[in-house]
Amino acid sequence: MPDSTVLLPTNNRPANTGSSMNDDASRLDGIAKVTGAAKYGRDVYVPNSLFVAFVRCPWGVGELVSSNRDAAMKVPGVLDVELTKKEGQYHGATVGHMIAESPAALSRGMSELACRWKRREAKTRLAEEIGEEPPIGEAAAAALAKGSKRLEADYSTEVQTHSSLETHGVSIDFKSDSAVVYASTQGTFSVRDGLDERLKLKRSQYEVVCEYVGGGFGSKLGGAGKEGITAAMIAAKYNRPVYLFCNRAEEHLDTGNRPGSRTRVRIGFNDDGTIVGGEIRTWGSVGPNKSGGGCNVPSGRYNLGDTKKAHEDVALNAGMPRAFRAPGHPQGSFAEEMMLDEVAFACGLDPLALRLKLIRSDAIKEMASLGARQIGWDNRRPTGSQKGVVRRGMGMGITSWGRFPAAVEAEVVINQDGSIEARTGTQDIGTGQRTMVGIVTSSTLGVSLDAVTVRIGRSTLPEGPGSGGSVTAVNSAPAFIAAAEDAKRKMLEALTQRMNAEPGELDIADGVIRRGERNAVQWKDACAMLGNAITGKGVNNRATVDADKTTGNSGGAQFVDLEVDTETGVIAVRRIVAVQACGRVVSRKLAESQIIGGVIQGLSYALFEDRLLDRVTGAMVNPNLEWYKIAGPCDMPRIEPILWTKDGTGARPLGEPPTIPTSGAIACALFNALGTPVRSLPLTPDKVLTALGSGERA
Amino acid sequence: MKSFAIARPGSHAAAAKLAADKTYTLPVIKSGGIDIIDQMKEGLLEPDLLVHLGSIGEGAATISMEGGRLRIGAGVTLAQIASSPIVIEHCPVLAQTAASAATPAVRNMATIAGNLLQRPRCWYFRQHQFDCLKKGGGTCYAVEGENKYHAIFGGGPCHIVHPSNLAPALVVAGGVAHLVGGKRTSIPIADLFHTPDKGVRTEHVLEPGEVLTHLTCDAAPASGFCGIKEKQSFDWPLAFACVGLRVTDGTIQSAGVCAGAVAPVPWSLPRVAEALAGVKVGDDAAIRAAAVLSGQDARPMRDNGYKVRLLGVAVHRAALKALGREAEGLS
Ligand SMILES: Cc1cc2nc3c(=O)[nH]c(=O)nc-3n(C[C@H](O)[C@H](O)[C@H](O)COP(=O)(O)OP(=O)(O)OC[C@H]3O[C@@H](n4cnc5c(N)ncnc54)[C@H](O)[C@@H]3O)c2cc1C
Ligand code: SF4
Repeated sequence: MPDSTVLLPTNNRPANTGSSMNDDASRLDGIAKVTGAAKYGRDVYVPNSLFVAFVRCPWGVGELVSSNRDAAMKVPGVLDVELTKKEGQYHGATVGHMIAESPAALSRGMSELACRWKRREAKTRLAEEIGEEPPIGEAAAAALAKGSKRLEADYSTEVQTHSSLETHGVSIDFKSDSAVVYASTQGTFSVRDGLDERLKLKRSQYEVVCEYVGGGFGSKLGGAGKEGITAAMIAAKYNRPVYLFCNRAEEHLDTGNRPGSRTRVRIGFNDDGTIVGGEIRTWGSVGPNKSGGGCNVPSGRYNLGDTKKAHEDVALNAGMPRAFRAPGHPQGSFAEEMMLDEVAFACGLDPLALRLKLIRSDAIKEMASLGARQIGWDNRRPTGSQKGVVRRGMGMGITSWGRFPAAVEAEVVINQDGSIEARTGTQDIGTGQRTMVGIVTSSTLGVSLDAVTVRIGRSTLPEGPGSGGSVTAVNSAPAFIAAAEDAKRKMLEALTQRMNAEPGELDIADGVIRRGERNAVQWKDACAMLGNAITGKGVNNRATVDADKTTGNSGGAQFVDLEVDTETGVIAVRRIVAVQACGRVVSRKLAESQIIGGVIQGLSYALFEDRLLDRVTGAMVNPNLEWYKIAGPCDMPRIEPILWTKDGTGARPLGEPPTIPTSGAIACALFNALGTPVRSLPLTPDKVLTALGSGERA
Repeated sequence: MKSFAIARPGSHAAAAKLAADKTYTLPVIKSGGIDIIDQMKEGLLEPDLLVHLGSIGEGAATISMEGGRLRIGAGVTLAQIASSPIVIEHCPVLAQTAASAATPAVRNMATIAGNLLQRPRCWYFRQHQFDCLKKGGGTCYAVEGENKYHAIFGGGPCHIVHPSNLAPALVVAGGVAHLVGGKRTSIPIADLFHTPDKGVRTEHVLEPGEVLTHLTCDAAPASGFCGIKEKQSFDWPLAFACVGLRVTDGTIQSAGVCAGAVAPVPWSLPRVAEALAGVKVGDDAAIRAAAVLSGQDARPMRDNGYKVRLLGVAVHRAALKALGREAEGLS
């Protein structure tokens, strides 16, 4: 069902025009990124580097029975093999590592090492490990009984691996008394903090550099990671540079994931859709350490009466969860939105009308109404009313995200040659932090964006937070506004003196010093008058955040229009409208891109992504980008981001919320088209056909 | 990866000689290299000589019509086939299968010979730690394990699906592979592959040292392809069908039907072909009924029963496409 009329999102942007501080700015590093001029950590090969690879367990549970270290050590270029464990509890679990002079020597060394593993029985299926399900609690049972109708349904989601395009790792340029650590991280400073003892250097002796990051989404948070720590220790021991990056399979197996989930819903409701209460019990599929499987339902976004919640993590022999863009939320949202659509169906209600009744936030209600108009909700056909081969469906979901405080130090330096630097050590994980900093600084100063050089991603710059929880922009922007204002004030003070102007007479606009109504001095000439460079400073912290009433949490609503081919079970999503609260938008393009990216990730999760463990051996059968399927260009709908800016003059968190509701909205749209719910992600053709009752012998 | 030498012979005959050269432990022919390099990276194949075909002239990269048959050089890329006016006019099924395979980047490198002779994509085969039957081990992991994408026909003891999109199209069009370096000079595509019961370690019958120079096939102007994929970018079909028809006076006189992604070899469906013969081109119900016969002998595994139904749909739609139509209700 190819659609030749798919429009680029940019064709639908008039709605957002004029909504931001800078509508038309492109990413400052966009061209460098697409031409390859941008060097990611993975691209940095320091001459004379050692290469390191982990020895990993190939099975769900494996016991290392033998290996031939001597043979491996005989391979030219292999320096050391260290095996520290005898057993692995999941495919990809590390049991040691090998150090060599080249990648080729490593791979030869690995085959000579000839690890022999004894395979043991592995736990691979959440459904099978849940065990006997506890009966519903007494209070919940009472609430359930009060409703005139009830819904008992099980929803499930599969594991989504991180599979960052730039795999996890570091390249360390180590010299005996200094080092530069080229890291692929969401936390430049957390890598610094994790390495001093490992590198055996003082913090003043090394720098962490992270100019570009090829994907993180939570998996590159929290310190230097296994890769960084191992590499640092080897660098210190051998007094040499070290390169250690995962390969594609390792990236799938051992760098974290969004856990799978099962949600058992038992709720009672009335004919008008009011939810009386009941119980929602969730299970998360996690690794052997049994943690991190949270599934966020009920989300609190809806009024679900007296609904009790219980959760349990279930250990599998598989790679472990790690924070993943809105941890716990998409899987919970999928269950919650589907549950509401099933309630609406049972009551003969329009799912939008039901939601408008149950949504707690007035702002989100308004966003939902706006999104419904934009998608053309009036054209939605009643669930199950269609008979054709290709059926159309519409669905919706909502989102919300909290605003979390983080400490940021910002500096804006104006040099005497006229150049301007905006400085903070935080990294740009692809969200556009570099550009955001430039825009905030330039527009506060009153100069053009290209006049500002943004310096970020270095641990020697002023300190900023790790990029997790959607904190980076919301907390950096106020710091840079303050820093730029400080620099501007200092500059104007100095110039007022030099130019014998009245206090308050001078200002900066369009890169020119204004005196009253006229252009007085060009920027360069003004800077030349300064006795020394000017440094403006700004901070953001819990106190400034608490005092700031211009911003807060962000909400959103998404709407999906799709087609499903009922003979093949293949789904083609046509349009997704994403209304997203942004508060004050810094850059329209970046904000739209953030929303579009969230939607794409949610769509890919809804339709395709599935870490598949072999039930016999416990190995992941698809640790690649061939069989671990991620949405591609031809799977893309037209995505229409709508920036909701009615809610204040401060920036709002935008990283996580747009990926939360997409999968639920898609599943609801599918239900609308088919008349039968598919309660399990991903929504693959075999499941669609089974739901339609036509999957022969399936 | 082991160190290896590269040779760039100037002719197919020279390539054949190198490929049989006993001074090397494992000389291997490389055409576009898409599959060969993948196998080397995973450690499945460790050649000490790569015989690169890229420098060969001899029409290796050209498409032409000769004596009413299409001639395609072994080194012609899938992208060339997909966009060739000659192929689109005379053998649309071949152009369509080529266009639907893989990704634009892969199609620009992948050659028709390499596509036919590539190794299967079974996820156990492709990961080094599984010593399955095809690699000389004792079990087929797919039987008890994960078999959502495996064969529903002709499986056992190995249950791969044949990976080539182009092979079933060539079977329908009476394709022939032309060879140098061995005893024969040609072999029909229909005989090029063997089922696992005839040998589980290999998929085709060529000997080392036999080199494919070009392919020929009949013109099949009323032909069509339909593949069903989970993902519309960068994905393998779950099931697909190639149909060639001979139509006179509004009636199908005879048909050739071959399925892909459902069996270890291109899977001909003679019963469907028979049922299509004599059907009026406008009789959708009869075409559909014929298509449903495609599932008759299927022996699905635990997780791939859905393919039976998909194949019926693919055959139906491919037949309509061969007639220049789309299935009703598809926009
Ligand atoms: C992501 C991805 C998706 C794909 N999807 C599809 C798909 O949907 N459908 C599909 O059909 N394919 C698909 N492919 C496979 C791809 O089409 C094949 O790998 C490619 O066609 C191989 O051609 P090549 O020229 O690169 O062969 P090579 O890798 O060079 O060679 C392949 C084999 O053929 C042998 N060989 C090559 N030329 C000759 C010759 N002249 N004589 C004798 N032996 C020869 C080689 O020795 C080798 O064994 C996909 C591949 C990838 C990576
Ligand atoms: S299907 Fe064939 S290739 Fe796959 S595991 Fe079984 S024997 Fe090996």
